[in-house]
Amino acid sequence: MANRGNQAGTATAAAGGAAQRPNGATQGKICQFKLVLLGESAVGKSSLVLRFVKGQFHEYQESTIGAAFLTQTVCLDDTTVKFEIWDTAGQERYHSLAPMYYRGAQAAIVVYDITNQDTFGRAKVWVKELQRQASPNIVIALAGNKADLAAKRAVEFDEAKGYAEENGLLFMETSAKTAMNVNDIFLAIAKKLPKNDGAGGVGGSSGQGRRLDRAEDGNKPASSCCK
Amino acid sequence: MISSFSKVDEYGFERPDDFDYKAYEAFMSRYMVILTRRSMRWNSILSQQSLPDGGTMKRFVRKGVPAQFRGKVWMMTSGANFLKSRQPNLYQDLISDTSHQNWDEIIQNDLNRTYPDNIYFVPSSDGKLNSLYNILRASARHNTSVGYCQGLNYVAGLLLIATKDEEQSFWLLTVLIRNILPSYYSSNMQGLITDIAVLGELVRSKSSKLDRLLKDLHLPWPILVTKWFICLYAEVLPVETVLRVWDCMFNEGSKIIFRVALTLIKLNETELLRCSDFGDMAELFKQITRSSSVLDCHQFMEAMFKLPGSLPSSKIDSLRIRFRQVNVDR
Repeated sequence: MANRGNQAGTATAAAGGAAQRPNGATQGKICQFKLVLLGESAVGKSSLVLRFVKGQFHEYQESTIGAAFLTQTVCLDDTTVKFEIWDTAGQERYHSLAPMYYRGAQAAIVVYDITNQDTFGRAKVWVKELQRQASPNIVIALAGNKADLAAKRAVEFDEAKGYAEENGLLFMETSAKTAMNVNDIFLAIAKKLPKNDGAGGVGGSSGQGRRLDRAEDGNKPASSCCK
Repeated sequence: MISSFSKVDEYGFERPDDFDYKAYEAFMSRYMVILTRRSMRWNSILSQQSLPDGGTMKRFVRKGVPAQFRGKVWMMTSGANFLKSRQPNLYQDLISDTSHQNWDEIIQNDLNRTYPDNIYFVPSSDGKLNSLYNILRASARHNTSVGYCQGLNYVAGLLLIATKDEEQSFWLLTVLIRNILPSYYSSNMQGLITDIAVLGELVRSKSSKLDRLLKDLHLPWPILVTKWFICLYAEVLPVETVLRVWDCMFNEGSKIIFRVALTLIKLNETELLRCSDFGDMAELFKQITRSSSVLDCHQFMEAMFKLPGSLPSSKIDSLRIRFRQVNVDR
């Protein structure tokens, strides 16, 4: 019962399908970033992660209790970016646990459901909280999920885009169901994250990914996409 | 490999793709013998005029309640029968109350997201989803300090699977919320936060190395164990193991939840201490709930009453008071 396998964790080379596949570039640095997903219950946080990490989609995704942890790796030019992803529970009463997940996170995806205006309001509250309480350098992306249900749209694209621009957020409408923009939003975040040499460089460690040496990471495939 | 076991277990759960049939087969060949013997023993004590004394009952329960008696025995040992006897018509009244509450949509929303891999809970089937809705809706109306908390869907769902009785499931859920657990599901989750801090302290006193390692890795306990406590190990451990844990929890109370956590940690301590990375540790905490040592529920239960050592209720109570105060002060 516990293991439908969809939360089993680390992605394999076959599953991800994420990211660019720069031909043969295996040299370069590996950066590790913590990313947290926040948003109202049932907007599709777990489905976005499942699509990104395993390339799968379940019409009926189990509700997340506490949080689920998964990892996925993407390649950007000569850099391998490993995301450590915390997919959190959406119900309001789990809110008091959220700081544990976004504290120390270098990136966040705040998710709403384009067919439900309330979830957009809730997303704005999350953004405000992150701006106030998370690491000052955190990269925040806003995802308007369930874009495949555009016929039932309740949140206009321009409204969300305008809000994201005002607040300096990355923004995309996504569909975990069709895979639209799912890899793209993670890639856009990866591009925006600082990948300076060495951990904890300028600006302190808070907004900085951990730089790993190949040797340190040698017991597992360095990446799901660099071949 | 060829196995005599079906893809779906006896509770309706689809077995995961990586299910270890070989280990399970080896375990079941031993366990069937135990189950048969326990079944006969239970048959004989339940047919007597009065129930055995507390000590005998505890010994019996720790060795496992046979599936066919679970509902009946849980209702007796947990105090749910007593609650029901005071309000015998309550459940019928609650489910015939058609007034609307905000919880109704939230519960509705979670129905199709509860055990979607269980044949009885397949979305839009006429399996147990309607019963699950009734139980959660009645609980939200009766247990007003909680309403509905995500996670209760898994607990209620498994109660329904184990007892096959909607009303019993409601009363067992109610006795958990009201009497057995300290406010895990209330709006501020105070009891949950306190109990996780208590677990942290118990680990610190029994394995200070692991406690230090987790601090070094910046991994607070709630990140690792919230689901264990909220779901009472449903959706965490293999189903037969969860039911064996619940046998004891309904009889001995919430301290059993700590025993399970401490046993999982103790059984895997060497491996846990080898972790030097945040991600690896988070991953390992997931894996230790699926290992062959938890699949063999009988062996796991024996370990549970041995490995963590003595764990008197008085100790848990005083730690709860101490950490509740810490939380309030913060």
